[in-house]
Amino acid sequence: MIPRLLAVLLATGALTACATEPARFYAAVAMTKAQQNSSVPTDSGIYYRADSGEWRHFGPRILGIGSIAAEPGNPEHLLIASADGVIRSTDGGRTWRKTTGWEVVDVRAIAFDPLNPRQAYAATQWGPLRSADAGATWQLAQQGLAKLYTQTVIADRAQSGRALIGAEDGIYVSTDAAHSWQRVDSSPETTILRLVQSGVEARLLLAGTQHRGAWLSRDGGATWAQTDPGSATANLYAAALNPHDSAVMAVGGWDTGVRISTDGGATWADRTAGLPVKHVFVLAFDPEVKGRLWASVFEEGSFYSDDLGLTWLDGGLHGAYGFDYVFVPPVRR
Amino acid sequence: MIPRPTKLRAVPSILFVLAAGGWIGPALAAAPADAEIARHFQERREKLIQTAIAIFEPADATQGTFLDVAAALQRGENLAAAQARLNVLNEPRPTGNMFWMYPVMAVLLNGEAHLDAGNRARLAHWWRHYWPSRGDTENHWVMYYASLYLAAQHYAGTGPEHWFNGQSAAENLTEARGYLEHWMQVTTTVGQGEYDSPGYIGEYVVPLALLVGWAEDAALRQKARMMLDYIFFDYVVEQLNGQYAGAHSRVYPRQLLQPARVTASALGWLLFGLGDYQQNAQSLLLALSGYAPPPILERIARDTSARPYVNREFKRTRWRMRHAGADSMVVGDKRTLPVYKYSHVDRDFVLGSSQGGLLQPIQQQTWNLRWRVDEPLDASNTFFAVQPYSSPHEGTMYFGADWDTVTDLIARSKTDYDSPDKLASGSPHEQVFQHGPALIGLYDIPADTRFPHVTTLFSRDTEDLVEDESGWIFARGGPVYFAYRPLVPGEWKPNDWTGLLGGGAGGWISTGFLEWGSGHRCYVSTARHNGYVVQVAPARDFDSYAAFQAAVRALPLTFSTATVAEVTFTALDGSVLRARYGEVPSVNGEPLDYAGWPLFESPFGVADRGSRRLEIRHGAERYRLDFENNVIMQTFAQP
Repeated sequence: MIPRLLAVLLATGALTACATEPARFYAAVAMTKAQQNSSVPTDSGIYYRADSGEWRHFGPRILGIGSIAAEPGNPEHLLIASADGVIRSTDGGRTWRKTTGWEVVDVRAIAFDPLNPRQAYAATQWGPLRSADAGATWQLAQQGLAKLYTQTVIADRAQSGRALIGAEDGIYVSTDAAHSWQRVDSSPETTILRLVQSGVEARLLLAGTQHRGAWLSRDGGATWAQTDPGSATANLYAAALNPHDSAVMAVGGWDTGVRISTDGGATWADRTAGLPVKHVFVLAFDPEVKGRLWASVFEEGSFYSDDLGLTWLDGGLHGAYGFDYVFVPPVRR
Repeated sequence: MIPRPTKLRAVPSILFVLAAGGWIGPALAAAPADAEIARHFQERREKLIQTAIAIFEPADATQGTFLDVAAALQRGENLAAAQARLNVLNEPRPTGNMFWMYPVMAVLLNGEAHLDAGNRARLAHWWRHYWPSRGDTENHWVMYYASLYLAAQHYAGTGPEHWFNGQSAAENLTEARGYLEHWMQVTTTVGQGEYDSPGYIGEYVVPLALLVGWAEDAALRQKARMMLDYIFFDYVVEQLNGQYAGAHSRVYPRQLLQPARVTASALGWLLFGLGDYQQNAQSLLLALSGYAPPPILERIARDTSARPYVNREFKRTRWRMRHAGADSMVVGDKRTLPVYKYSHVDRDFVLGSSQGGLLQPIQQQTWNLRWRVDEPLDASNTFFAVQPYSSPHEGTMYFGADWDTVTDLIARSKTDYDSPDKLASGSPHEQVFQHGPALIGLYDIPADTRFPHVTTLFSRDTEDLVEDESGWIFARGGPVYFAYRPLVPGEWKPNDWTGLLGGGAGGWISTGFLEWGSGHRCYVSTARHNGYVVQVAPARDFDSYAAFQAAVRALPLTFSTATVAEVTFTALDGSVLRARYGEVPSVNGEPLDYAGWPLFESPFGVADRGSRRLEIRHGAERYRLDFENNVIMQTFAQP
C-alpha cells in the first residue's frame, strides 16, 4: 500500500517535480458547436491530451459526461461521471462497467478521498452518492440536504471522511463520509457551480456560484466570504487554485471570461483578452508546467496561458463545451 | 390464418365474471360485436404489416426501416431484400441511442432465425460496442429499459464482456425490470408525466408493445398489456374521430396546426378504425406485437350517445431537478407538480385544458378546442391560446444544462422554443379554468419576461370570423360556434410572424411548412394583466350563427385588469364562473376541489389517485385494470 502522505501528494500533483512521466490530462466535453437541429452533440465524452498535443477520445461515448476521477495512487482505477450513471474501469480504460442502477442519473462530478481511496463521492443533479468500495457500489447520500440538486464535490485532502458538496442552496459539509450533511451557514444561498481545494494549502478553497460570483474559504470550508467584486453577480462555472502558489487563483464564467488574482483574492484582474469569447466553463492550473493555466471556452475549444492570462494559445478541442479538466498523476515506481 | 409471430407470447388471459358473482367463460367475449371488432382490427393490422413488407425491392437496398425488416422477418417474406437492407442500416455505426435499441430488438425478436450469420454477429457486436445513452425524458427511459430487458432476455446467460455497459445479461435484466416496474407504479398511482401527447404516445406504445409481444415473463407481459390498455383508455375518452384532443404535455408545431397527422391518429385508425389510415412506425410495431385492444375501448371510442360529458384526469409534470417550487409534490425522492386536466367532450367538439402554469418544458399545450371534421388528415380544426415563455429558469428546472446555455441548447432541436411567435409553451404567468364548454384564461406577466404577450391562434379553417362591437370575437369551426373575449384588445398577426419556421429553421420541424403552417392568424394582446373568456357551443343548439352571437352577447360578464386579472362570467348553461389570478376559481360560488381531483373520472372510467385501479365502463360492461394485483377483470351486469 502506498503510504498515506505519498498518496495525498500524488493525488494533488504536489510531487510533479519528481515525476518521470507526465500526468495524464483529461477533459470532459460535449461537442456542441456543430450540433444543429438535434438534441444530441456530435460527439461527447472524455478526451486526453497525448504527448503530441493531440486530443484523443477515451472511454465510452456516452452523453453527458461531466468528469473523471482516478483512484489516488492507482491511475488504472477510473470513475466517469455521466448522465447514465457512474462508469468504472479497473484496467486503465480497457474495459468499463456501469456501477450504478437505474435510479442514478445525471452525475456531474466525482471524487475520491485522497486519504482513503476506497471512499468516493459523486454529485448528481438528483442528489449525492457515496461509495465505500472505490466506486464498485454506490449508496444515496441525501441526509441533511434541504434540496437534492448537487453539481460539484470535493473530498477534503486534509481530513479523511470529510467532503464538501455544492448544492442548489449553498455549500454542505460532511465529516462522516457523506452519511450526513450540514449546510455551511456562511455559504451563499444559491447554486454552487464549482468547488476546488488548494494543492498547497489545504484550508484554502474557492467556489464559483450562480449569480453570486466567487467565494473563498481560508479555514477548510467552515466559513466563506465573497471575493472579487468585479464578478459579484456573475455565473462562475470555473475556479482554479494554483498548485504551486496559493496566492494565485482564477475564476471564469459566462460573459465574465477569465479573472485572475495573484494576491490570494485581495485583488482581481480581467485576463480575457485573447480568448475568442468571454464564456469560460473550466479553468485548471497545469501541475506539470508551473504557472500554466488552461481555459475551456464555450464551443471554441481549450486555450492555455503561461503568463497568467496575458496571452493565450490554442490548446485544441475545437467546438467543445467543456465540463471539467482533470490531471491524473502517474504512479511512481 | 394470420401467421403467429416468431416467439410471440400469448396474450394473458382475462377473468370474466358476472356482476352477480357467477363465472362465465371467455365465450361471452366472443359475442358478435367483439368478433366484428376483432376482425376489423386484424384487417387493419394486416394492411400495416403488408405495406411495410412491400417496401423492399430486391435490387434496391435504400428503402426500408428496421421495423420494415422486422415485418418481413416475422412473415418470412422478402427476406433477401430485407437482409440486404439490414446490412447497411447499422453503417457506419449505430446512432440514435434508444431509437436504435428498440427497432433492433424488433428485428431480433421477429426472426433472428431468418438472419444470416453476418447480420446476427453484427447485431451482437453492436450490443457490445455501441453504448446507447439512456436519454433524459421519460419516454427515452421506457424505450431504453424495455429494449434492454428484451436484449438481456435474448442474450440470456452472457457475461459482462458481451455488453456495452460491462454488466451481465442478468444484471441488465434486473436493472431494466426495476425501472419498468417503477415507471408503471408511478404512472398508475399519480399519473403519467409526458401525459396525453399526440406524438409521444407512440414512444410509450413501442416499449410496451415489445414487452407484450416478446417478454417471456408472464407477469411483466401482463403488466405491459395492462399499461397499453391504460394508455389507450386515456386516449379514447379525449379523442374526436381519432384526433387526440384536450391539453397536451408535448406537441410540435405541425401537430398543433394539422392535428390529425400524428401518431395518436395513426394508432386510432389501427386500434379502432378512427380517422384515416397512416403508415406509422409505432403503429407497425404495435401491429407486429400481437396486442389487440379490449373491445370495450372501441365501443367507448365510437359511442357518441354519452356525449357531451366531462372527463377529468390527474397527471404530473416532468420531474423537477431544481426550482421545484413550494407548490410541488414529492414522489419518492423526486419533485413534480400536479396537473389537473379537464375536458368537455361533445360529439362535435372537445374543449380541453389543464390549469396552466409551467407544467412541461418547451412543448406544452395548456388548452385547445378541436372540432369535428369529415376529412381530418389535412384539417386545421383547432383553436387555442398560449403565453410564449422561455427562460433558463424553466430550462434548468427540467434539464441538466447550465443556466447560460440551456435556452440555446434547447433551441438546437426545438427551434421555436425561444421565438415570440411560438405556439406551444407552458408559462408560469398563466392560469386557466374551465367549466363545461366555457373557459377563462388569466395572465400576470412580469415586465421583464421574454415575451410579454398572449397569442391566440385562429386557424385557417376558422370560418365566418366576426369582430363584434361588444368586444367578443365570434367564429365558426365546422359544426361548432365559438366566442372569444379578450380582456385587453390585441392586434392581428400572421402566425410565424418572425418567419422562423417558414424560413426553414429547425430542419425536420419545419419541413413542409407552407403546406401546414401557412394561412393561420394570431390575435396578439400585450398587457401585464391580461386574459380572455371562451365560450363554445355546438351549432345544433342554435337556430343560426346570429342566434349564438346574440346569446353570448347577452351573457353577464364583468372583468378587470387594473391590479390583477379577474373575471366573473355567466356561461351559456347558466353557471357563474369566477376567477381571479392567483386564487382558486369558483363555479356558482363553490371553489374548485383540486385536492379531490381524480386520476380518471368520466362516464367511461374512474380511478382514484393512489388506488392503482382503473375501472373502464361502457353500459353494463366493466373492465378493471388492477395494477396492485396485476389482473384484468371483466364483468357484465345481470340482465
